[in-house]
Parts: sequence; C-alpha cells; structure tokens
Amino acid sequence: MDKEKKLKIGFYEFSGCAGDLLTIIHNEDYLLKVWNSAEIISFRLATSKRDEKANLDIAFVEGSITAEEQIEELRKIREKSRILIALGTCASFGGLQSMYSHLGDFSSRFNSIYPHKFTILKPIESKPLESYVKVDYFIPGCPIDFKLFLFNFTRLLRNLPVELPSYPVCIECKWQENNCLLLKKIPCLGPLTRAGCQARCPTHNLPCVGCFGPYEDLNLPSWLKTLQENNIPFKELEKKIRMFFGVKVKEILSKLKNKK
Amino acid sequence: MKAYKLKKEYLKEYLKSLEDFGEVWGPIKKGEIDVYEKITDYSLLNLNALRPILPLKKFLIPPKFNTFFYTKDGKYENALKEVKRKIVFGVHPCEIHALLTLDRLYKERYPDYYYLTHRKSTWIIALSCVPDDKCFARSLNTHFVEEGFDLGFTDLEDYYLVWVGSSEGDDLLRHRLDLFDEKITSKDLNRYIEWRKWRDNQYQLNLDLTAMPDIMELSYDLEIWNEIGERCLSCGTCSMICPTCTCFNIADHLGIDDEPGRRERFWDSCMLKIFALVAGGHNFREKRVDRVKLWYTHKLKAFITEFGKPACVGCGRCIANCPVNINVAEITKILKGEEVKK
Repeated sequence: MDKEKKLKIGFYEFSGCAGDLLTIIHNEDYLLKVWNSAEIISFRLATSKRDEKANLDIAFVEGSITAEEQIEELRKIREKSRILIALGTCASFGGLQSMYSHLGDFSSRFNSIYPHKFTILKPIESKPLESYVKVDYFIPGCPIDFKLFLFNFTRLLRNLPVELPSYPVCIECKWQENNCLLLKKIPCLGPLTRAGCQARCPTHNLPCVGCFGPYEDLNLPSWLKTLQENNIPFKELEKKIRMFFGVKVKEILSKLKNKK
Repeated sequence: MKAYKLKKEYLKEYLKSLEDFGEVWGPIKKGEIDVYEKITDYSLLNLNALRPILPLKKFLIPPKFNTFFYTKDGKYENALKEVKRKIVFGVHPCEIHALLTLDRLYKERYPDYYYLTHRKSTWIIALSCVPDDKCFARSLNTHFVEEGFDLGFTDLEDYYLVWVGSSEGDDLLRHRLDLFDEKITSKDLNRYIEWRKWRDNQYQLNLDLTAMPDIMELSYDLEIWNEIGERCLSCGTCSMICPTCTCFNIADHLGIDDEPGRRERFWDSCMLKIFALVAGGHNFREKRVDRVKLWYTHKLKAFITEFGKPACVGCGRCIANCPVNINVAEITKILKGEEVKK
C-alpha cells in the first residue's frame, strides 16, 4: 500500500448540518490515519489548503441540493471524480429538509417561511444528489456512524465496493438485549430502517426515527397494521416515515397503494 | 448424580464464593425483561426470571466478535486466546437442551474453535422453573434435564436440592461444603416427587407437535402460509433470540494506516432477504413467505431428520419477542387448523 500511489480524495458539503463531515473530524484518534492513508484534495471543514482543479479518485459529498447554484457545483464534482459517494441521509435521500416536499408547491411553502426577498441563492426543493448526478454508493446516517464510515473508507482505498448492513435496526437492537418497543405499541421505525447505528435510540428506550433511511426489505403494510390496530392513526405513522426517508417515501407508499 | 441440600438463605453467600472460580453471571431485570449479566450486586439476581432475552448462545458465540487480526506483512494473530471462566447461574432446563443441541453442532459435527474455547470456560448452574403462559417445554419434553449442567438446583420452597452434574460441579460444591447438607431423607424424596408432579401440571401452553414434520410437508404449498408471510416484518428478531439459531456472517475490517485488519463474525438470520442471495444475483428465498417457511421447516422438521429431535425447546422466546405474533405456538395452531387467538 505504501509503495502504491495514494488515492486522491475530496470531501464536499451541500445543505445540511455538516454533521457527517464533523463525525469524521470528531474522531480524532482516526483523523490522522484517514489523512495519512490518502491524498486529501479538499476538506473545507478541516483545512484551507485545497486544489479545486485536481481530478479525484473518490468524492464524499454530504448534504442535499437545495439551490440551483449547487446543481452546477455538484456536476463539477461529479465530472472530476471517478467515484462519487453520497455521505449521510441528506445526500442519500434528501434529508429532513425534504420532509414536506409532498405538501404542494415549493415556492409558496418557501415564501411562507421566508417572506422577504431572498437573494443569496436561488432556492429549490431539497433533493438528494442522485436526482442530479450518478451516485456510485450511499453511506447513510444522520449523522453517519464513524465505524461504518471507516469500514467502507478502508474498502474504497483498496477498490472494494461499499458494503452496508443489509439488515434492519432490530438485529442490532437484539444484540443490545433491548425489549422490542413495538411490543409496547410504540411506533419504532426499527424494522423499516437500515442498521448501522448500533440501535442507539432503542438502547436508550427511545423509538427509532429512521435516520439511516429505509431498509431495502421493509414490510410497511404489516408495520402499519400492527400499530393501527392499536389506534395509532395512519397520518401520525406516515409523518414519522417522512421525517428521514426523503424521496424514498413516494416509492414506499406507492407500493402500499398498489396493495390496496 | 449425587444430591445435596442448600438452605435458601445461603444461596447468595454461596454464589458469591464462586467468584473464586471466575465471574458469576445470572439473570438480572432490565425494564420488563431479563438479561444474563455479570453479578456484582447479588440482591439484583432475579430468581424468577424465565427467559433472559438472549439465551446462553450469547456466551458461546457472541453476537459480534473478532476472530483474528492480520497485518500488511501477511501475519495473522488469533483474536480469541483466553476466555475468563464464567459460572452462569439460573439456567432453566429448556435452555440446557438448547445448549446440548449447540454442542452437537459446534462440538461434534463442526468443531468450532471459538465455540469450544468459550464452552470450556462456561460452567452452568441449572435452576428449576415454574412455567408461565408462554412456556411449552413439556410439549417438547425439554422441561427436565439430566445432563448438560455442572450443578443443578431444584427449588423446594425453603431449600434447594442440588445435583452434581460434572466433576467441575463437584469442585464448585466442595468449595463451600460447609453450607450444604449431605443427608437426604425420605421426606426430601417425597417432596421432590410431589414437586415434579405439581410442576408438570403448571404448563398452560400445551402443543401437540408430534405430527409437525408431516404437517410441514403437506402444508408447504398451501395458501395459509401467505398470510404469515405478509405479516412477517423480516426484522430477524426470532433468529437473534432463538436459543438454537446459530447462523453467522463474517466481514473483513481492513486496517487503516498502521492498524491491523480484523475479521469479524456476527449473527445472521435466514429471515433476511440477502441471506439466500448467491453470486450471479439469484435468490433462493426472495419471498418473505419462503423465508418464514424455511425457519419453521428447519426448526420443526428438517432438524428432526438430522438430529432426531426438533430444534425448538419450548422456551417461549419467539412468543415473547415477535412484534407481529409469529411464533412456534401460532404456526402450529394455524397449520393444524386450530383456533388462533390474535
């Protein structure tokens, strides 16, 4: 590895809380190791030294796209990168900021919150990176889990594909020896959500809110049924799914309608 | 098997003294459930615990552990060299039956280094139990146990009858022989016989599983399975908490910078879609219902063909933990066309 050329890597951010890149920075024990193992071309949160012209092996991009100017910027990153990775739930699915995207026209919603003229950027509906460019891999999480990031970072350095847990939060929840919150009819999104967080919330007796995005084999009808049978209205459950599942909600709910 | 008596008031003192041999573990309350934990405060020991959420397998093949480390220069280092001895108190007969099943798999059929290493260091003190409405061990004849423990405690109200099940158990008992009474009277014998009769009749859940292999076969393509398949959340909880489920997956965590890489082994579940996905993209059990069928076929039919008995021990964990009420009792009732309470 040492003799090989180090991969050129860039970290970029769009709309979000920067929590994913901060997760990398806050793991001080590993920060230097991350730095030593690749050639970091751009990482605005960590260094002012950057080269915006260089081609990249891997671009890690966090945040969703919420302004027209960002589309261009994202396309530029895509063009110069061999591999582009959506880092975190905003970049992967649209994030919290796309929670209400089903509620009619964007500009009227925007103007109700920002009634004064907004001139910094041209705002648009929040969408994940995939809506504009080809995304090679997703590493979801709000924020990402550092261990899961590191697992995949080291894989990428050796040209191996990203691998995510292909199971729901419930698996990790049982490893932590928690009593299932659904048994108490608490609307926990565990069975609908991809694992990777070590079941952090249920371990603290709080229901999963789905921040890692949907688990690919989720069974929404059965989840809804078991909670609706206990008088939790559909609207309330739908709202919970909308919080983090972003653009995936449409797809998930359309399957539900087909069923009915 | 020699038997002794231990007055109940000596129990905690006795268990504490076993710390001379290693860590003492037992069921402790965690909210509404019980978990096996290392005991530091003996007043927390829950003697009425029926089914700690994760069974004994968590000691023998932990949910997630490193198997070995490796470095860039091609060197390997075993990650499991020594395990601290654990004395697990409060293990019920059904769980010991599950342990004997795991032994057949990982000690006899496919000797597994990690299992063997943990197994050697895990000593078992069995404890008799009184079933609740989820226990159905009697239906599987796993409600009593004659082997698979080092010491066995039978609760006879004011004292325990203590059976010595192995030479290690004998060492444990002799460590504080002063607390035990060697003299067994005919009164004790009668009490024991009476207790067995009484306890046998405490099972509220009785399932007739005798024809299940045939019924599984005959029902395999029937419509009744579909409703069960639609209900299953594919959350994998059943496999995690079942004392005889032992499937696992492995992942290589590559090292970063100067750190060694490590190979991790973690519990897997046939209830997950990816489980039967093979190279080329074919999935043998793409549909949820096929996965549920496989789980129950394996527990109640295939295992009998292979090992002469079902892989279910009647512990009731699936009944207590499945969020959508799919469990051995429910499946048996549905397949046999009996009334199902929902």
